[in-house]
Amino acid sequence: MNIKQIAEAAGVSVATVSRVLNHPENVAPKTREKIQKIIDEEEYTPNWFAQGLNFKRTKTIGLVLPQNINSANMEVANGVEDVARQKGYITFMCNMEKDPRREKEYIDQLITRKVDGLILLYSTLNEEYASWIEEENVPIVLIGETKARDSWDSVFVDCRAGAAEMTAHLIECGHKRIAMLCGKDPEPEAKAMLQGYKNVLKASGIKVEEHLIYQVGNNIEGGYIGMKKMIGNLPRKPDAVFASSDEIAYGAIDALKEMKLRVPEDIAVTGFGNDRMSSLMEPKVTTVELPYRKMGIYGARMLFDQIEEKKVKGGHHRRPKKIQLQTKMRVRKSCGHRERIGEMF
Amino acid sequence: MLKTQFLGMELPNPVMVAAGPWNRDGKGLKESLEAGAGAVVTESIVSDTVMDVRPRISCDTLGAENIRMYSDIQIEGWEREMSIAKSSGGVVIASISGHTPSELAYLASKMERFGADAIELSVSNPAAESLEVVASHADTLFDMTKEVVSAVKIPVMVKLSQNTTNISKVAKAVKAAGGSGVTAINSVRGILGVDLENAVPALSTYGGISGEYIRPLGLASVATIAQTVDIPICGVGGISCAENALEYIMLGASAVQVGTSVMLEGRDSIRKIVQELEIWAQNHNVENLSELRGKALENLKAFDEIKFEPAVSHANGVPCSENCNKCVNACMYQAISRRGNSIRIDRAKCTGCGLCTFICPAKKLKLSL
Repeated sequence: MNIKQIAEAAGVSVATVSRVLNHPENVAPKTREKIQKIIDEEEYTPNWFAQGLNFKRTKTIGLVLPQNINSANMEVANGVEDVARQKGYITFMCNMEKDPRREKEYIDQLITRKVDGLILLYSTLNEEYASWIEEENVPIVLIGETKARDSWDSVFVDCRAGAAEMTAHLIECGHKRIAMLCGKDPEPEAKAMLQGYKNVLKASGIKVEEHLIYQVGNNIEGGYIGMKKMIGNLPRKPDAVFASSDEIAYGAIDALKEMKLRVPEDIAVTGFGNDRMSSLMEPKVTTVELPYRKMGIYGARMLFDQIEEKKVKGGHHRRPKKIQLQTKMRVRKSCGHRERIGEMF
Repeated sequence: MLKTQFLGMELPNPVMVAAGPWNRDGKGLKESLEAGAGAVVTESIVSDTVMDVRPRISCDTLGAENIRMYSDIQIEGWEREMSIAKSSGGVVIASISGHTPSELAYLASKMERFGADAIELSVSNPAAESLEVVASHADTLFDMTKEVVSAVKIPVMVKLSQNTTNISKVAKAVKAAGGSGVTAINSVRGILGVDLENAVPALSTYGGISGEYIRPLGLASVATIAQTVDIPICGVGGISCAENALEYIMLGASAVQVGTSVMLEGRDSIRKIVQELEIWAQNHNVENLSELRGKALENLKAFDEIKFEPAVSHANGVPCSENCNKCVNACMYQAISRRGNSIRIDRAKCTGCGLCTFICPAKKLKLSL
């Protein structure tokens, strides 16, 4: 049955059936019950396309990720979808494969397909492109550090502080020559982390040695190759390696094991992110927890706030809101720390 | 008689139900209000829910240990729960918890929109967070409170913890940041006991201890804040009867919260405490409980201010039939002896420590000059 037939069967107008579906509070209870009964009996569901046209909303949001084989990204997506589902929305997930061109394509496509809002994780967008999207008047939330952060609502963590905390921890463990395997992307966060690492070394009176800093691909392979190169190139191995992501740390540990070096006895290795595998690796990886799922949850919350505001006020310009979430040290075994205080509390 | 003004809110009585699993949803909050609570505080609402571990609550005759600290309902669901909680009126305070100012401000503004009458910042959870709770750092607490205060129009109170070295300093930070009041105290980090046969602690991690165990800590915290900071205080910790509530009020609290007794004895305990308070006030010709606020503080001095008086213990010649010998055994100065039914005190040996006056079950011993 379609809406017209339901209306005929109930002896009311199409408009009344529509009101029962969308604003039941505006229909007299008796009429409402009668119509609802027919709707239930006929298992009628409204035409999704027609509704979208009518209300100018599709009840879909777009989520563009840097890469979908990365478990941290999927944790973010998990948070986004959790909130979207509660709001009755479907999430379109697009993998840009760390390619800025592909990111733009997806954003264009999603806007063309009339999503009600967009969430961009570790976006590569710059301000210029941002202003183009702005003209389209689509609610957008950014997750993670981005060049265009000042244009939109965003959720982020202070990676500089997290990296500083980790570097300080490695110094506290007694390490002096601390190398860094720094991922090439996401760029703003990698830069912030490198800064945090350097600041703490300087503050502790340890000379920053540029040859101890390796730029690597932000994945397991990048960590593996970077570690091999570093050990091969350096006349004297470092005491510890701070990897800017857990995946880089996994790759590094793998390479060290292959070279018959023990972690943490010969070289300590620490990660960043606390993805699920980090506590299952041998040795368990000391890392900095990033609240991935929470980042997704807040990204979605801010997006739906915008969508709802837009509904009420018809879209307006206001100062972008920012939510900062906290990182947390997770002291495990790979750093060579002997006390468990960080792990226990 | 019990009507209470707290942070600009009109409460029918000063007995609130504290944040905790008993107030985990709208239904629970509504039931607490219907049982006569002056106001109710939601279980602490966080950015993302945490899975419940089992078991998570243990208890003994003096209190409880709890490792479930946060609501298992997400902020999205609290819109529905708040409408249920408020469906028959009453004051509902939203407890929120988080790690950054912006996160807390977000949760607070959402709960305000859902109808909360006030916000209670819970940043002193003793379990699953860290050895140093946020509420032990005045600077962090200041930033958090300030951002929340600027995000909402309703009053903001902050729940403080004994797990800090200087509770007065953090209470001052709350006031400086524009907070309307403080709640003192949160449960205290602890382990309720160990099962010796299996070498297993009461719960599998450090928990928050509540109940009678922490009342002396709560009383001291409230008194300290009342004596040093001009800010309304809500007293919490081990309140299970009207007398306990009055102790907090006399030490400076404007209102009180009960939690553990609601958990262990049910919501009837709310009704019981409120009724007892009414009776007490009637019997003591108290028109409004606010007359009693801070009354005992006049008799709470700094150590240096205590006058030296050569008081000694007196048995007042009354025959003792208790036969417990507690006073004799407890006298560290060997000043007390018994002959038949008569208790004798050697005035030359007694140094007036006062312990016997508290240990005597019949309260027959008194200190006097």
